[in-house]
Amino acid sequence: MKNNIVLALTKGRILRESLPLLADAGVEPAEPIDATRKLLLATNHEDIKLAILRGADVPTYVKYGAADLGIVGKDVLLEYGSEGLYEAADLGIACCRLMTAGIPNRVSNVGTLRVATKFVNITREYFGKKGKQIDIVKLYGALELAPLMDLADVIVDLVDTGDTLRANGLIPFEEILPISSRLIVNKASIRQKTPFLLPFIDSLAKLN
Amino acid sequence: MSDNNSWQLPDGVDEVLPKRAFVLESLRRELLDLYHSWGYQLVEPPLAEFTESLLVGLGADLDLLTCKIPDQLSGRMMGVRADLTPQVARMDAHSMSDSGINRLCYAGPVLHAKPKSAGSSRSPIQVGAEIFGESSVQADIEIIDLMLETVELSGLSCSRDDLTLDLGHVGVVQSLLKSAELEKKIEAKVVDALKRKSIPDLERVLESLDESFAKIFLALARLNGDASVLLSARELVLEVAPAAVDSIDLLSEVIDSMRIRRPEINIYVDLAELRGYNYHTGIVFAAYTSNFGQAIANGGRYDNVGSIFGRSRSATGFGADLKVLMQFYSSLLCEDVGSKVISAPYSDDPGLREAIAELRKKGERVVMQLPGDNQNDQFDRYLTNSNNDWIVQQK
Repeated sequence: MKNNIVLALTKGRILRESLPLLADAGVEPAEPIDATRKLLLATNHEDIKLAILRGADVPTYVKYGAADLGIVGKDVLLEYGSEGLYEAADLGIACCRLMTAGIPNRVSNVGTLRVATKFVNITREYFGKKGKQIDIVKLYGALELAPLMDLADVIVDLVDTGDTLRANGLIPFEEILPISSRLIVNKASIRQKTPFLLPFIDSLAKLN
Repeated sequence: MSDNNSWQLPDGVDEVLPKRAFVLESLRRELLDLYHSWGYQLVEPPLAEFTESLLVGLGADLDLLTCKIPDQLSGRMMGVRADLTPQVARMDAHSMSDSGINRLCYAGPVLHAKPKSAGSSRSPIQVGAEIFGESSVQADIEIIDLMLETVELSGLSCSRDDLTLDLGHVGVVQSLLKSAELEKKIEAKVVDALKRKSIPDLERVLESLDESFAKIFLALARLNGDASVLLSARELVLEVAPAAVDSIDLLSEVIDSMRIRRPEINIYVDLAELRGYNYHTGIVFAAYTSNFGQAIANGGRYDNVGSIFGRSRSATGFGADLKVLMQFYSSLLCEDVGSKVISAPYSDDPGLREAIAELRKKGERVVMQLPGDNQNDQFDRYLTNSNNDWIVQQK
């Protein structure tokens, strides 16, 4: 049986923190990742390839079976849905928190709250559980600006150190969820490539 | 470029053009002939029915998948079928009174309000077969066998295409959940995490649980692979949930049988496979092949769904999407279509018409030329008159 594994990686911080895990599992890119513009990379294993993608695309590649495995933030899985995927392990890398934040003493409790975020599904569910009616303003970046420009009352965003929030006069309010990177697996791949994939997953997740 | 986009089809709704349509229909006929030869009777469920009957029992999971329209005659809500199985189960329970075994098969289009899985068609053509009124594992084995025949007839082979038979039994998780006596809310979370095999989410839910059960659920989520996992699973559940052992033994029986019937097939056991967890009651199975990201056929046991319609019946069956299966179906067929056509002149001559009828009866395709027909492209032979006799000549 042929193996030919494709592992989809999220570019940026997750990619940087994934490489040592991969190295521990004996997999290294055939060329330095920083120096190449290739999106599909060979490795020191003939039958393992790495695909470098945007986070939100990683679950899509794995769901369709274009990639067998993926490493992606829990935030992406929650936002775009993880139906039809297996979530094999918490890799404990690229840790941060999904939080609400805003300008201190500015948020009123009356009326519909305006929330700016990239994560519209998570946000809707979170405030829904709190019984709070909200208006969502979908933004793609620089969320800290939204309360300053009175585009929104609060934001929902990933917070690591909190420096960007503070630099813009915002403070974190509540933690919605702790976030870390997860190893996801295609359902058909795990069945077709079992003898190869199971040990590889275990060694990536440091289960042995 | 044109501003007119009135030709656009909804996302995931596709049309099938001539050559592929021929392949699709050939496969449909071959499969229905196969089921006929196994003694299954064809049924033709309605395209739409009231949501009251469409979305109960087996159909309860189909609510979001079903397109609904108000019935202008009665004012009641109708749904376009998203799955034929619940309809066939209703037909067995309500419209057919035979108390013995009922083998039924079907093929027909369904409509999905949203794609069922990544990249799947919203207008699949579902084929499948069901056995009602037989609770033994032999019925499951017959259905699994027929599912694999279906896949093989579609052009896949156990040896060449790495066909994998996926087997599970929902009874294992069900018995464990029963013994663990979890709160409903926690139980739902455990089931959800198991469905996605999310080890991290499962660990989080299990934090609040009795440690021995937490360990077992975690082990279960990781118990998948070749048939040897059954042994470990048996040990794992023996003391806490003896009922689960029966499920595991049934699976062993199925595996032994399949090993004899199809020695070359890969078998993958997944005891935490919870697809259709709300209505499946026993063995669940699916077929996978290399380079296809999802199951190409699946099914399982779903006893008692008929009780809503007045008759509790044992049931097991499988289904597949013809549009998926046809991708593997002989491409030879595809190339031949359209090229083997005999061209005949346009004429009212009774002799010619007789000759054409004779050829068509034999299965030949004969086209009587219209003024606009182009002789050269579509025909490989032609009918010509030689000494008052019509004969077929090569181009």
